[in-house]
Amino acid sequence: MKMSEKTYHESAIKHITGESVYIDDMPVNDQLLLGKVFFSRYAHAKIKKLNIKKALKVKGVHAILTANDIPGENQMGPIVHDEKCLAEKEVTFIGQAIALIAAENADALIEAEKLITIEYEVLEAVLDIETAIERNDLLAPPRKIERGNPDEALLTSPHVITGELKTGGQEHWYLETQTALAIPGEGKEMMIHASSQNPSETQSIVAEVLGLKNHDVEVEVKRMGGGFGGKETQGNHVAAWAALLANATRRPVKIHLFRDDDQIMTGKRHRYLSKYEIGFNEQGKILAYKVEFNADGGSSTDLSMSILERAMLHADNAYSLPNVQIIGKAWKTNLPSNTAFRGFGGPQGMAVIENAIDKIARFLKKDPAEIRHLNFYDQEPDVFTPYGQRIENNHLFKMYDKLLVSSEYFKRKEEIIIFNKANEFVKRGIALTPVKFGISFTNSFLNQAGALVNIYTDGTVLVNHGGTEMGQGLHTKMLQIASSELGITPDRVKVNATNTSKVPNTSPTAASSGSDINGMAVKNAIDIIKSRLMDVVIPELEKLNNGKTTIKENVVFENNFIYDKENSDNKISFDDIIKFAHFKQVSLSSTGFYRTPDIYFDRQTGQGKPFYYFSYGMSVSEVEIDTLTGQHKLLRTDIIQDVGDSINEGIDRGQIEGGFVQGLGWVTTEELKWDKKGNLLTHSPDTYKIPTVNDIPKIFNVELLKDVPNPGTIRRSKAVGEPPLMLALSVWLAIKDAISAVADHCLEPEFSLPATYELILLSSAKLKEGMKKIACADDLEKA
Amino acid sequence: MKSTLKFVLDFKIIEIDFSKQKELKTTTTVLNYLRSFPHHKGVKEGCAEGDCGACTVVIAEVNDENKLVYKAVDSCLVFLPMIHGKQLITIENLAVIENKQTKLHPVQQAMLETNGSQCGYCTPGIVMSLFGLYKNHNNPSREAVEEALTGNLCRCTGYQPIIEAAQKACIHNGNDHFSERENEVISLLKRINENEETLILKSKKQKYFKPFTLAEALKIREENPEAIIINGSTDIALRQTKKNEILYEIIDLSGIDELKKVSEDDNNYCFGSGLTLEQLRQYSNDKLPALFKILNVFGSLQIRNIATIGGNVGSASPIGDTLPVLFAHNAMIKVMSQLSERTMSIDDFIKGYRQTDIRNNELITGIIVPKNNNSYLIESYKVSKRKHLDISTVIGAFKLHLNNETVSEIVIAYGGMAATTKRAVKTENFLTAKKWSRENVEQAMDILSGEFTPLSDARSEAEFRTAAARNILLKFYLDTVQKS
Ligand SMILES: Cc1cc2nc3c(=O)[nH]c(=O)nc-3n(C[C@H](O)[C@H](O)[C@H](O)COP(=O)(O)OP(=O)(O)OC[C@H]3O[C@@H](n4cnc5c(N)ncnc54)[C@H](O)[C@@H]3O)c2cc1C
Ligand code: FES
Ligand code: FES
Repeated sequence: MKMSEKTYHESAIKHITGESVYIDDMPVNDQLLLGKVFFSRYAHAKIKKLNIKKALKVKGVHAILTANDIPGENQMGPIVHDEKCLAEKEVTFIGQAIALIAAENADALIEAEKLITIEYEVLEAVLDIETAIERNDLLAPPRKIERGNPDEALLTSPHVITGELKTGGQEHWYLETQTALAIPGEGKEMMIHASSQNPSETQSIVAEVLGLKNHDVEVEVKRMGGGFGGKETQGNHVAAWAALLANATRRPVKIHLFRDDDQIMTGKRHRYLSKYEIGFNEQGKILAYKVEFNADGGSSTDLSMSILERAMLHADNAYSLPNVQIIGKAWKTNLPSNTAFRGFGGPQGMAVIENAIDKIARFLKKDPAEIRHLNFYDQEPDVFTPYGQRIENNHLFKMYDKLLVSSEYFKRKEEIIIFNKANEFVKRGIALTPVKFGISFTNSFLNQAGALVNIYTDGTVLVNHGGTEMGQGLHTKMLQIASSELGITPDRVKVNATNTSKVPNTSPTAASSGSDINGMAVKNAIDIIKSRLMDVVIPELEKLNNGKTTIKENVVFENNFIYDKENSDNKISFDDIIKFAHFKQVSLSSTGFYRTPDIYFDRQTGQGKPFYYFSYGMSVSEVEIDTLTGQHKLLRTDIIQDVGDSINEGIDRGQIEGGFVQGLGWVTTEELKWDKKGNLLTHSPDTYKIPTVNDIPKIFNVELLKDVPNPGTIRRSKAVGEPPLMLALSVWLAIKDAISAVADHCLEPEFSLPATYELILLSSAKLKEGMKKIACADDLEKA
Repeated sequence: MKSTLKFVLDFKIIEIDFSKQKELKTTTTVLNYLRSFPHHKGVKEGCAEGDCGACTVVIAEVNDENKLVYKAVDSCLVFLPMIHGKQLITIENLAVIENKQTKLHPVQQAMLETNGSQCGYCTPGIVMSLFGLYKNHNNPSREAVEEALTGNLCRCTGYQPIIEAAQKACIHNGNDHFSERENEVISLLKRINENEETLILKSKKQKYFKPFTLAEALKIREENPEAIIINGSTDIALRQTKKNEILYEIIDLSGIDELKKVSEDDNNYCFGSGLTLEQLRQYSNDKLPALFKILNVFGSLQIRNIATIGGNVGSASPIGDTLPVLFAHNAMIKVMSQLSERTMSIDDFIKGYRQTDIRNNELITGIIVPKNNNSYLIESYKVSKRKHLDISTVIGAFKLHLNNETVSEIVIAYGGMAATTKRAVKTENFLTAKKWSRENVEQAMDILSGEFTPLSDARSEAEFRTAAARNILLKFYLDTVQKS
């Protein structure tokens, strides 16, 4: 059956009426206790004395736990086991959990927290990448990807630009802070309601800290109030803490982090310090590229190496690099362990080459969009990425041609030149940037998914799958897939909360892969049920058609009916068949499974085919900056995004716009600042500034690329969760273009990411000074 | 004296007698109150500091014309007694059941149709802001929509569908099932409000006074000199919600109509200290453009709907946004005690970092702003990291009187550059009696740099503050030249 064209988010009505239930809203019995985390106030220190006695006496307090009270292992690192659940002798970042409190109400928690006393011996802390590099504090051995002969090519390149780029971190700022509810069951059983993108891992970690087996722990995720990667591993932490308290008190315990605590305690997008050399010819064709990514991993490994890997795999973005060397290093610092964030290293990788190309264009006095175009991966058959994957179904050229026209890029560029001539202090800038994003977990084994589909005797369907819903509309797409595969109307299908006892051993809902892999698993389960149903359907249809033979291939499930294509007038209702099948003892429930075919990646050689396919996008943004105040306005953005055959246009648009605006925050106003002791200064929305409604483009055109079905995926669709975030690099470089106009594009502005008001003002001021010294024209190289 | 708090919720009068129950404190926020009920958990906490709007509810009150006016507010900052005598409207009240079917409110229907929700956590707050917009604007412009939504952060949607929903929904002149029940609600509210006796509420360790007349307020002030005064409480509430302080005694002025008046004579505007910043913003639109400009980027609508001008002056924050503008206007502050009344210049009133000249038996009652009569140029510039819903990094306000291109009087006042709002006296002196030229202004900028040693903090480095302060003086010059 065709996909129902317009399906709203399956929870939309609940969202807009306030009925949707998040963990903090769940009704629990009157035994419920609230939990709180007592955390470190030093970035690096020895714990000399910890005293909880007074705090335990506070009325309403039921338990205070420290590392010694952990029945299982004191460990919650997801891949590398290098993260303590509760600090023992040493703390390694501000915000690290030391003790857990459970009490009947918030006041008691606060009072108890104040009464815990602790003595530290303060140790030297590493708070930035530069220091970590100096001290050679690597989290893991460096990684390398190489192709061609970059050193030689750099020597023979007519021009070489070298540079360094700092890209800042980013706080997830999911509206729902980290939350978990643990409910003890019979014996040692534990039920966890988690706000986690990775319920199976939450299950394992809870089991580990409690000293239980996985089958003793059940984790359920109904929905998250936003995840964005921040709940891929770090949702496990609150779950483990709540579980420890519930286990100790044998009561339900809920931990819902206070906003500031969440911002202080949890990891963020990794900030990077990247160094590069890029060689090119007169036309602007890139001949060689060497880049070294240095990631601030924070105090433990978490996902830093996988994220670094993705940054390295996106060092090329959309550009052909014949001679290339990519080195990646993740450094250990005394900050909360940095973690997944939409784009997963991709943004950090792409920002470097986009900025480098921008420099090439300024150096050659050419239009940056044209230089980009010149360097796009060719459409020829044998084009390879630095890691040896063949580029297929390349939509870059098509998008470029369309976007230049729809955005009137060149016309506006002319207008901007005139505007900038006429305005001394207010400048405008424009930029076009592409995105090529690889879809699949680069850890190939993770590309698997499971589902469990139940059909009940009243003809309704319950779909369980391994993915979690965090707003991205995954459940809606699963619902649409199930309804169209079964040929029934969407109102008969419900998607269940994700539960580890329904679908086990799942991969995180991440890497934009949720719909691709879970959709296939759901389809697989339905295919199995449908083939079982044939045993009753075929005889029934043959009866109906007076004995005319029906072959399996001709059976159609459509609009709650089943019929033979050859005899479409005679239909049996889906309900009747289900009742009948049950009567005939046919199983109406099946699991489904899927693994993405043909992908592999060899870390040793840095070569392989890590991605099932690439998702493409492109955007043009125009900004206006006030060089006197550093403030900017985003005048217009035009986007084209390739989503294959969209399963749900409304949802896909939402991902594109929302992802873009989140990226916009990253490249402009979202700035993380720490003091000299490692205290996060921007620890609340008072000082950490994500985009508001006023900050989005005043003109915002989003187009889905048409007629580009994606072979080999569910309903020929493409993943859409992460790629649009990186489209915001167009805003970042448009700001740079506007700053650069201060010096008539003769000087290279000082630039980094985010382009805050501070950067805009100070960089513009430096250009003004610089202009006084040179006469422009051809002095770029010398300056 | 009354000790029972009353308001309307779910179209019924709710009475809270703090002496008879233990769960609630007098300073329990409306957010926490609502969330203690299983059927009012739609409202969400995203920050507990007024910066995200997930907790938005709408408050309706009866105005002078016997109509209900609807205002979106952040329930995380509103203490329960602040809604005494008002209707509290929550997300659960918007849809109605008709013939066993849920009938969505127009703003909800539009949010559905534009895919306005993703994770849904911000959504109840957004819907309530849209409802506020629906009741106050028909066919709103993009600016009006942005204004209504500035205080609602959404991390998922990128806002575009929500803007569309706003424009799609607000086309019925505000008519809905609330309009139909307006008279019913008004009569309930009148029943509560007919008695104007001071509310005195007590809970464990806490005492809360809510007077309804200035005379009563001054009397209570005299008798309870240690009590904290609040009006909108957008400053004070954070001491509880963010710092976990216990606010022992509170005098809440938000119920005093006398303090919300605006008057105007030939020479002055006089604003009651209890005037909300949103009322002031609307009033100042064509009258006091420099003030209007600053109020357009002051907090969010939810904040401006309760925050007051008296509170902004009273907090004496170095980054209080109206202060530099009031300096530029040579505004006067009126304070009263039971027996006396004083009026002094804003300059004299602000004593130091969060310190004013107020005595512990006085209240700020009015802010007097002299009329300009077009003889001066007054301008203001706010520089903040994010343009909306952000505290100033630097804010400057300027007043200029020219006599044949020569400066006869200039006031240059900055916020964010020192421990208080501060005038750049040396720079003013330098410019006085000089030609108002770019050259002189550029020289003055160097003097200005020497006059302040600002701090580096989460918002910016000191270097930026100095540069921005210099630049906005130049901006002022450029604007004056452009205007003339
Ligand atoms: C999210 C958010 C955004 C904000 N944005 C801005 C902004 O953009 N710009 C800005 O300047 N501020 C901002 N503020 C701070 C605050 O909102 C303002 O200072 C506001 O004007 C305070 O008014 P209020 O009526 O709420 O004050 P309250 O909190 O009630 O009182 C503030 C102070 O004034 C005293 N006071 C109040 N009324 C009187 C009176 N009549 N007599 C004597 N003393 C009195 C109080 O005792 C207290 O010390 C923001 C606050 C929040 C929470
Ligand atoms: S909870 Fe964020 S504004 Fe109230
Ligand atoms: S829908 Fe998730 S924050 Fe708005």
